[in-house]
Amino acid sequence: MPDLVSLTVDDRVVQVPSNTGLVEAALAAGVEIPVFCYEPRLGAPIGACRMCLVEIEGIPKLQAGCTLTAIEGMVVRTAATSAKAADGQESTLEFILANHPLDCPVCDKGGECPLQDLTFRYGPGRTRMTFPKVTFDKPIPVSPLIALDRERCILCYRCTRFSEEVAEDGLLIARNRGARSEIATFEDEPYRSVFSGNVIELCPVGALTSSMYRFDARPWEIQNVPTVCTGCATGCNVTATIREGKVKRILSRNHAEIDRGWLCDKGRFTYPHLLARDRITAPLQRGPKGLKEVSWDEALDAAEEMLREAEGAIVTALSGSETTEIAYALGRLLRGGVGAHSAVLPEATSDALEAFRLPLSAIAEAELVVVVGDDPVVERAPIVDLWLKEARRRGAEVVACSPTGTVQVAPGGSAALCQGISAAGNELGQRLRNADRAVLVWSGPGGGGGARIAELAHELGFEEKPGCGAFHLPVTPNGRAVAAAWSASADADETRPETISVLVVSGEDAAADPGVRALAEQAERVIVVTMFHELVGGWADLILPATGALERDGTTMNLEGRLQRLRRAVAPPCPDELAWISKLAARFDVEISPHASAVFAELSEHLFQDLSMDEIGLRAALPSRTAYEAPAPAAQPASVPEHGATELRLQRYRALISGPAVERVRELEFQRPEREVEISAVDARQRGISSGDPVLVRSNGTSIELRARVNRRLVEGIARVAEEHAADLHAVVEVVKA
Amino acid sequence: MTQIYERIRELRRKYPQSRSAVMDALRLAQTEHGGWLPPEALREVADALDVTPAYCHSIASFYDMYHLEPVGKHMVEVCTNLSCALAGAQAVLDAFAHELGVRPGETTDDGEMTLRAIECAGGCGRAPVVVVDHVYHEPLRPEDVPGLLQELRGRE
Amino acid sequence: MDANNPILLMAGTQEHDLTRLDEYRAVSGYKALERARALEPQAVMDEISAATLRGRGGAGFPMGRKASLLAKGTGKPTYLVINADESEPGAFKDRDVLRMTPHRLIEGCLITAHGIGSKSVFIYIRGEYAHEFDVMRDALEDARTAGLLGGVTIVLHRGAGAYICGEETALLESLEGQRGQPRPRPPFPPVNGLYGAPTQINNVSTIALVPKIIELGAAEFSKIGVPSAPGTAVFSLSGNVAEPGNYERPLGTTLRELIYDVAGGIAGGRELKAVIPGGSSVPVLTPAEIDTPMDYDSIQAAGSFFGSAAIIVVDDRCCMVQLALRAEQFYTHESCGKCTPCRVGTRWLVQLLTKIEEGRGDRSDLDLLEGVCDRMLGKSLCALGDFAVYPVASYLEKYRGEFEAHVDGHGCPFGGASSIEGTFAPIDQHAPNLAETVHA
Repeated sequence: MPDLVSLTVDDRVVQVPSNTGLVEAALAAGVEIPVFCYEPRLGAPIGACRMCLVEIEGIPKLQAGCTLTAIEGMVVRTAATSAKAADGQESTLEFILANHPLDCPVCDKGGECPLQDLTFRYGPGRTRMTFPKVTFDKPIPVSPLIALDRERCILCYRCTRFSEEVAEDGLLIARNRGARSEIATFEDEPYRSVFSGNVIELCPVGALTSSMYRFDARPWEIQNVPTVCTGCATGCNVTATIREGKVKRILSRNHAEIDRGWLCDKGRFTYPHLLARDRITAPLQRGPKGLKEVSWDEALDAAEEMLREAEGAIVTALSGSETTEIAYALGRLLRGGVGAHSAVLPEATSDALEAFRLPLSAIAEAELVVVVGDDPVVERAPIVDLWLKEARRRGAEVVACSPTGTVQVAPGGSAALCQGISAAGNELGQRLRNADRAVLVWSGPGGGGGARIAELAHELGFEEKPGCGAFHLPVTPNGRAVAAAWSASADADETRPETISVLVVSGEDAAADPGVRALAEQAERVIVVTMFHELVGGWADLILPATGALERDGTTMNLEGRLQRLRRAVAPPCPDELAWISKLAARFDVEISPHASAVFAELSEHLFQDLSMDEIGLRAALPSRTAYEAPAPAAQPASVPEHGATELRLQRYRALISGPAVERVRELEFQRPEREVEISAVDARQRGISSGDPVLVRSNGTSIELRARVNRRLVEGIARVAEEHAADLHAVVEVVKA
Repeated sequence: MTQIYERIRELRRKYPQSRSAVMDALRLAQTEHGGWLPPEALREVADALDVTPAYCHSIASFYDMYHLEPVGKHMVEVCTNLSCALAGAQAVLDAFAHELGVRPGETTDDGEMTLRAIECAGGCGRAPVVVVDHVYHEPLRPEDVPGLLQELRGRE
Repeated sequence: MDANNPILLMAGTQEHDLTRLDEYRAVSGYKALERARALEPQAVMDEISAATLRGRGGAGFPMGRKASLLAKGTGKPTYLVINADESEPGAFKDRDVLRMTPHRLIEGCLITAHGIGSKSVFIYIRGEYAHEFDVMRDALEDARTAGLLGGVTIVLHRGAGAYICGEETALLESLEGQRGQPRPRPPFPPVNGLYGAPTQINNVSTIALVPKIIELGAAEFSKIGVPSAPGTAVFSLSGNVAEPGNYERPLGTTLRELIYDVAGGIAGGRELKAVIPGGSSVPVLTPAEIDTPMDYDSIQAAGSFFGSAAIIVVDDRCCMVQLALRAEQFYTHESCGKCTPCRVGTRWLVQLLTKIEEGRGDRSDLDLLEGVCDRMLGKSLCALGDFAVYPVASYLEKYRGEFEAHVDGHGCPFGGASSIEGTFAPIDQHAPNLAETVHA
């Protein structure tokens, strides 16, 4: 606990911890020190904009307040009590405004603009600039998502510092010098980074704005709904901006432990999928002439008939993106009403992790972080990648054990690696045992949904240490709670029927999953709950329209094990799932409420110790750790496929910017994975392949042309391809120059 | 991989942190690319330093001695800062402009000479100062200009 | 050493080729290093402090005091960085040290490194000094071969053309491979400098004086110059003097002596009009003020600064408004762009001065000129923002009549005959967007 210091700001005495920055110290005294370039999340203050000029007693020159730390006995005077400081701040604004275009009437930032606000509070009343202002072509597309207006830019460097020091992508830079400085990308290439959208929120003026939101709304005619993103399992806290019943944009709502105010582009820009061209708004039933729109009564009749006839030979495929309530309600309906106990989830989740629970922010506090797993963290849970970078910047050692890590591990080798680390004499294991603050992260398929990493944490004695913990990064946003809710909805064993009479598919991810498609081919009839026609039009018998996450009330549990609330931002174009599940369930004598809070109350009794929905709050708390329960032992690991000298093992990975919702947002197209195959430098050399060469990737009759990319960090013997480009390729492939 | 990759990797070892080598690396790449830094030069430097081309561009564009547009085979730089101005630098600049048929900042059509005005070159005691291909000519008077150009052209 | 005209920094350069190691040794070169290495490091620094060696880079901060601020026990190495980025208009003294007596600089580096416990020296040489770099490189190689380095590495780093990189923290940024933009201070380089480690950063001439201080001893050294600023300085005289050049003289020599006795007076029999004593970045002095001794405190008392001791002499053929404009064009070209007042203010001043010079200004523009200067002064991230103000503000103050003549007469009173008429500035070579045409 740092010592307290006492200082005086504008004649108000205040006590703050000794390493508090002056801006925060002043705030504690109820005094505003205006800033533009200052943003603590971007690293050390740079003192560039000079907006924060204050007078410090004993120092003749005005000082940039944001660069100072509170010291015992400091006497600070801001514009409120110092004419000199007021003049300094007014000077800054006069200079900024001297070249700033009077764009307010057409600028998206108007009404929520720090420059406007500070000008009103501290700026000159009129301009003395009579010369022509600097002009640029405007707006320039920094990417399909972001528009840059160089005339409005005040060169606070927040965006370039974000690119360099937070996202560490080094793609958005300042070029030239002096008054000719401008923000740019290399060769005007699009700013291609999954974190790019954050610069829109960081920009204190209308220089970097969202292209999607351009001219769409004014701050005084919108409503803001606090909810949680379900694009991945991180569960970043967001605000949905609504105008006239439509989602206009998503902003970060800043949960200090989860996202720290950052948001990835998937979470930020996928909302237009709610208005996709092929969105299903009414039930569809397959008849002799193909799919036909039917009424809800007809649809529920058809569903009831199918379910009864199936006599329990029903399998339900869940996406893991349902709300907890929808999963529970489906369970009550199908398991309770029809005896359909068999379910398929995209991946397993393990409760053993609860003994090692930590907030994501603990990663930044760690001294040692070990990441294992086949998939890059940024593709699974991008904000976790930002936490890892923050940890490294603060001096932590981050050891990546993966196909491209500092410790190279072939795909599928993570479980064995974990065992190796826990073995006596292992150096890394010893360091983990000795550390006070160490974190393990499993990012990839397999591993028993976190079971293996929990076992390792247990072996290393992490339960005893509050600074040590473990995370598993699932592919589904709510998989753990969905599985638990389904489980809790009835008391019976789940056995897969030999033949599938009816396959119930819930959600887009299940509908797009090849494994589920394979089941659909076996099933006699298929009921699908989905948003998009194009996904299922070819093979579903009954299609019920689904709602999107922004249209739902309910709960979702993130990868920390934190339960958070979703709040309906806009009304869906079709009934909420709970509404028709309730109606359908009634036909099977199952009583389940159509209201999320009531459904939650029921499931909460089983799962969350009667926590009520209201108690979850706007910024949900992380539950405390539970006692360690050893998970089920590992299933027999799949044998590593043999491959000949000229062949490579195919590693598929699911890119972050992928999926049915993303595919329906054309502005995100450029962020989708390139049609590439990544191979190691050695493998490339052997095949005479250089980066950029067209190559053929083939196995057993399938041949796909992709561009080669040589990744010097990739382990030998592997060919990495994004899932959506890998089609029917087998586990072992040949890669040859096209 | 071009030859400069290895040379830049070598330059990195001069410093405790490899980014410090960027200025040397850009200078090297500029020489290899005919006196200026086309995008591919920036990519080469980025590759050898494990940084992004955008970062290299950001650094290169900050300094006066890196050229991001093509320049002539010869660079004629006339200082026009205070002391040289007081010594008559403008007449020297005018003489070059007249002889070469270009304005300051431009390159002759045959791609041979680029003429530009520069800020203080540190030769104020022997003003006016002209720097030709990094060699100082101090003082240089307007009447010396034709002879200097002749010598430059002859030196092939 | 001639007691009447002691030469310390450039000692031996007239008689010998001191780029050669054997010739440097012949004038007692590297003897001081030997002596220093036999002393405790603190003793070396005490001697430098006792000599009150004031930084010759411009600020005049005592070297010994700077070194005493170096953080200890950080677990990081201590670095010595030599600022050879000499780019101040009118200054060309460090250049002579580099090209004429490189070994004296090397010796100074090694003595200082010993004194502050550093094994790692970086010399940042401005990119334009290509010949000087070659000389240093060869001298360094000779020193290395002769076994003189004693485990200290000296890295020569070349700049690439940016005046701002002469600012200490901007130099460190540039050396680290970033854009050369200054850092906020605190923290100061002795605490957090190069690569976040404690760093002593000094000008070439400062460090190159260290061998003589060790050789003579602080007491002898202090007999030269003035008590507040002992020793000699190399004064760079340029502009309208008959014999421009570098002249090493004791601190405290007056401007009159330097201009008339040393540099031959005003060339061509013209009248002295103005003297800028410390490089373009300091306030101008009038002929009435040239009896001011050139030492840090005296010049400051006279309302200007010692700076780089780069004395620019202006005769009566020069329009002061044009001179102010030319100076301001330099500052806006060199502004790094990081902080608002300098980035915007320098450009605005250029626009205003252009308007006034072209005869399109009025009296209120003179007030505005003052107003913009006031709003820049003391508010920037680094001294460049102040340097950009001094020429304009001081010329306006001391030559106000000339400015008024421009606005009242709707044109330059020199009528096209000013000695710097039509001087083209590098900033005008950039795309027209920046050098805006100014409407009436």
